[in-house]
Amino acid sequence: MQYQSEAQSYYSSAAAAVGGGGGAATADPYESVLRLASGSAVVIFSVSTCCMCHAVKRLFCGMGVNPTVYELDQDPRGDEIELALSRMLGGGSAVPVVFIGGKLVGAMERVMASHINGTLVPLLKEAGALWL
Amino acid sequence: MDINNKDLHKKGALYSSSAVRPTAATLDMFPSWPLRFQHLTSTRISSIGEEESTDSGSAVNTASPSSYSDHRLRRPPPPQMDAGISADGSQPPKQIPEKRRGPGSNSDKVLDAKTMRRLAQNREAARKSRLRKKAYVQQLESSRIRLSQLEQDLLRARSQGLFLGGVGVTGANISSGGAIFDMEYARWLDDDHRHMSELRAALQAHLSDSDLRVIADGYIAHYDEIFRLKGVAAKTDVFHLITGMWASPAERCFLWMGGFRPSDLIKMLIAQLDPLTEQQIMGIYGLQQSSQQAEEALTQGLEQLQQSLIDTIANSSIDDSMHHMALALGKLANLEGFVRQADNLRQQMLHQLRRILTVRQAARCFLVIGEYYGRLRALSSLWASRPRDQAMMGDENSCQTSTDLQMAQQQQQQSSRSHFSNF
Repeated sequence: MQYQSEAQSYYSSAAAAVGGGGGAATADPYESVLRLASGSAVVIFSVSTCCMCHAVKRLFCGMGVNPTVYELDQDPRGDEIELALSRMLGGGSAVPVVFIGGKLVGAMERVMASHINGTLVPLLKEAGALWL
Repeated sequence: MDINNKDLHKKGALYSSSAVRPTAATLDMFPSWPLRFQHLTSTRISSIGEEESTDSGSAVNTASPSSYSDHRLRRPPPPQMDAGISADGSQPPKQIPEKRRGPGSNSDKVLDAKTMRRLAQNREAARKSRLRKKAYVQQLESSRIRLSQLEQDLLRARSQGLFLGGVGVTGANISSGGAIFDMEYARWLDDDHRHMSELRAALQAHLSDSDLRVIADGYIAHYDEIFRLKGVAAKTDVFHLITGMWASPAERCFLWMGGFRPSDLIKMLIAQLDPLTEQQIMGIYGLQQSSQQAEEALTQGLEQLQQSLIDTIANSSIDDSMHHMALALGKLANLEGFVRQADNLRQQMLHQLRRILTVRQAARCFLVIGEYYGRLRALSSLWASRPRDQAMMGDENSCQTSTDLQMAQQQQQQSSRSHFSNF
C-alpha cells in the first residue's frame, strides 16, 4: 500500500505546469487542478496534517488503489489550488478532494457514499486504477 | 361577572322550586349541573344519588342514606313519585310523560310504561357513559403525570452523565445541546416504536407492495431524521455524541464513532434476511465489505487525530501552553467531521439496503433492526434494575437474583411478545 511521496507530487505538478504551455506562476489555478487531476487515474488533493485526508488515503489504499496525492501545504501554489478547489466544491473545506479518471468525485462524504452505493469500484476500474 | 351572577341566580331559583331534601340540598353543591336536567331532578333523585356517590365520593351517600332508600321505594310508578316527591307540586315530573309522547303512542298508561323503560335505559346508558368517561380521563391524567415524570427523570439522568466528566457543569447547562438532543432522541424512540407497530401490522395484513413501500420508505425517512438531529447536535456537543451518552448502556458497549457500526448491523441482518436472490446476496456482501473498508478508513483517520491531539497536549511547555491549548482546540473541532462522516456512512448503508431488497424484504429487515435495538435497550433497563446486593450476600442469593432476572425478563417478553415478530 503505497501512495506518491511529496517529492514525486512536486515533480508531477512542476511537469504539469511546464507541459501546460504557460509559466507555472501565471497558470489559472482551475486549469492546474484539472491538469493535475488528469495526470493520474486517482488524484487526491490533501493537506499533510489533515486527518480526514489521512482517512480518504487509507480508504483507497485499503481497496488496493494507488492514488496520486498532492499535499497542498507542501506545494508552493497550494493556496491558490486550495481556493480553486473550495470553489469547485461549492464552499466548505477544500481538502480532501478526489478526482478519478480526471473527473471530480468530491469530498469525503461523496466518496464514501459512492463506495457504499457501489459506484466507486466501477469508476476505479474504468479509470484503470483497479483490476479484477 | 354579571353574567355569572345571573346564571347562579337562575339556577338557585330552580333549585329552590324543587323539593328541598338532603339530596336536593347536596345538588346545590354542584351548580354546574346543566339546566336541561333540572326538570328531571325529582324523578332521578335516586339514580342521582348513585351517580353522586361515584362522582363526588362519600359525602353524598353518608349525608342522606334514609331519604335515598325512600326514593328508591317510590321510584317505579310515576303517580306515586308525583305524590311523594313533589310536595310543592312542581310541574316537571308530570310534564315528562307528556313531553316524551312519541308518534304512534296511544293511551297514557302504555306510554308511561314505554317511556319509563326508555327513561330508565337512558339513565343507565348515561350513567355508564359518565363512568367510562371518568375512568378514561383518570387514565389520561395519570399517564400525563407519569410522562412528565419520565421526561424529568430522563433529563436528570442524562445531565448526570454530563456531570461525570468531573467538569463543573452547572444546572444552567440542562438546556445544552446534549440535553436537547436527548429529548429529541427520546421522541424519536417513541416514533420508532410507532413505526415498528406499523411495520408489524402491515406485514401481517399482507398489504400490497405499493402500500408497504410507503411504510418502508417512511422508516428510512425516520432514520434520516435522527441523522439530521445528530448532525445538529454534533455542532454543539460532539463529546455527548461520540461518547454515546445519549444511547443506552448496552448500545454504548458496541458504539463506534458515536453510533452503531454499519458492518455489524449487516452481519446481524444477513442471517435474518433469507431468502435472497443470488444478486441480492452479492449486493449485501458487497455492502458489508464496502462498509468495513469505509469504517476502517474513518477509524484510522480518527486515530491520527487522537495521536495528534495527544502530541499537542503532551508537548506543551510552560511558555507555550496557551498556544498549544489553542492548537488542541482546533484539532478537537475535527471530531465533528468524523461523527458526521460516520453518520453519513450509516445513512448510506441503510439507503443501499433499501435499494437491494424488495419492498417486503425491506419491511421485514427494518422490523428486525428496530426490534434488535429495542432488545438492546430492554437489556440495558433490566441490567440497571437488577438487585445489587450480590456482592454482600452469598451464593444462595445470587440464585435468587438470577431467578428474579428471569422473571423480569419473562415479564418484559410477555409485555413485548408482539414485538418478537414471526417472519
